[in-house]
Amino acid sequence: MSGATGHALAIERLSKRYGSFTAVADVSLAVGQGEFLTLLGPSGSGKTTILMCIAGFVAPSEGAIRLDGRDITALPPERRDFGMVFQGYALFPHMTVAENVAFPLRVRKLGAAEREAKVRAALDLVQLSAFGDRLPRQLSGGQQQRVALARALVFEPALLLLDEPLSALDKKLRAELQDELKALHRRIGRTFVNVTHDQEEALSLSDRVAILNHGKLIQQGAPAELYERPATRFVADFLGKSNFLHGTVREVFAGGFAIGAGSTRVVTAAADSPPLGSQVLLSLRPEKMALLAEGETAENSVTGIIESWSYLGAGYALNVAVPDFGTLRITLSTWNAPIAPREGLALRLGWSAAASVPVLDDAP
Amino acid sequence: MMTHQPGPFARISAGVVALYLLLPISIIIPVSMTDQRFLSLPKEALSLQHYATVLTSPEWLASIWQSFLIAIAATAIAVIAGTLCAIGCWRLSRRSTDLIRALMLLPIIIPSIVYAIGLYRYFAGLDLLDRFMGVALAHGVTGIPYVVITVSTALAAFDPRLEQAARGMGASLMQTLRWVILPRITPGILSGGIFAFIHSWDELVIVLFIASRDVFTLPRRIWDGINENLDPAMAAVAVLLVVFTTGLLLLDLMLRRRRAE
Repeated sequence: MSGATGHALAIERLSKRYGSFTAVADVSLAVGQGEFLTLLGPSGSGKTTILMCIAGFVAPSEGAIRLDGRDITALPPERRDFGMVFQGYALFPHMTVAENVAFPLRVRKLGAAEREAKVRAALDLVQLSAFGDRLPRQLSGGQQQRVALARALVFEPALLLLDEPLSALDKKLRAELQDELKALHRRIGRTFVNVTHDQEEALSLSDRVAILNHGKLIQQGAPAELYERPATRFVADFLGKSNFLHGTVREVFAGGFAIGAGSTRVVTAAADSPPLGSQVLLSLRPEKMALLAEGETAENSVTGIIESWSYLGAGYALNVAVPDFGTLRITLSTWNAPIAPREGLALRLGWSAAASVPVLDDAP
Repeated sequence: MMTHQPGPFARISAGVVALYLLLPISIIIPVSMTDQRFLSLPKEALSLQHYATVLTSPEWLASIWQSFLIAIAATAIAVIAGTLCAIGCWRLSRRSTDLIRALMLLPIIIPSIVYAIGLYRYFAGLDLLDRFMGVALAHGVTGIPYVVITVSTALAAFDPRLEQAARGMGASLMQTLRWVILPRITPGILSGGIFAFIHSWDELVIVLFIASRDVFTLPRRIWDGINENLDPAMAAVAVLLVVFTTGLLLLDLMLRRRRAE
């Protein structure tokens, strides 16, 4: 099953309404050949509805879905040739593992010898060769997940759709299978579309992530791009953690601008600056601030007092009360930490102009 | 965990109800083994002569055989129609399908004598009176509710994602039905079939109306026998019927237990 080429998928102005409820509102997305795209969003964001539209189980109210340019919007699911891993796997409980994996081939009326060879290859691919005769209920969650993967890939589908494939597993196993899934994608070079509400999973697996909220596409891009340059407050908050600084634009200069809030001035880097006097919101990641030693300077600095703190193993999370901005969250590595945190401790925080990003305030 | 022990009142009433259910059935066992020539309890010795009479009489054997064939045909009709109806309602699952499912229970709700009068009128026009096909059809249709109930129950426990998965992998509706849905609901279908069979096997009222001479089922022969002469052979037949029906119910119980595993 190597050497196969992926297919390109395009979603054009897709909408889905249920009565007066809009599940998906005017979403356009393109998935390139061999790309791993993740639809990320909280529950009710419309991500699963989009996946079901791609699979053909839900008919869109408006818009089109194209595979390599061909309109497949009206094609029933059984004629789309897409592999799918369902939430909870949906393995056939009355069939053995091998029979489950053979099902798509049986449907396609393949000869017994060819069928057997392909089933063996698919089970090898997910390292379950020894489990062909077991029933699904005799397998662990992780093994069932792999059977579902083998079954979805055995007929060399044009596209692999994954509906929260790892959500039923415990945290350690999830990390393991994330790595496996990523390696599998690299190895077979097919186009994957994944749905999840787990931002870590989205960041680590995907070539590209599309973030959805309330049925709308908020932002899409490579994981690092989304994390480093979130377009809106929702994206900055949903993908990782962020502090938000409210202020008024006071100065504009080449490559950035400065905001003021009370008596505090903060400079930020930006390609194009908002007009003077406008209200803006900056996103500032907790790990992008540092503690400043005596006499040390930074492009931005504020003084504050530790309100509360927690020990997280690899790092400390400090909540620092700062004049004009409320409470800022900052994370420090515990290894060689410059201070021993305690409540009421006064400290100085600094960050560079490039650390903060202006974001659209789309909070409700 | 605390378990509540039943009190004396509950124990006694449970016992009374059980006796109430079992006594009329158990009384026919000694009666069927009477040494007398009329319906009575045995006087001097137990005798199997009435069983011999039944099992060698061409009339009784013909009726048993005819009842059996009718029940088989009626079960086939009820199982096919009832299963398809239940699957259809399940797949569409709208408010209108709930109504259809309720309509399917009508043969149980309507008194069979009313139903039989209606059938009599229609079957006269269709030349189905006193025909094997007529009785099989009538029993088949009135057996549908049992199948609809058991199959619907089995489908309620069926994960709809399995159907989606099958279709997503390219299976047509027929392939999905044959390879995924039917294997999962077979116990429900068998259960419904057993009930439909029993329903036809001991149905009398409809037969009284739409059959007369050519179709003479076992319940009909027992009925006539009681009306004409009180032959103890009837008790023997009744015992055979009870044994047969109990056997079917035990089979159903066994199937259910297998499904529960």
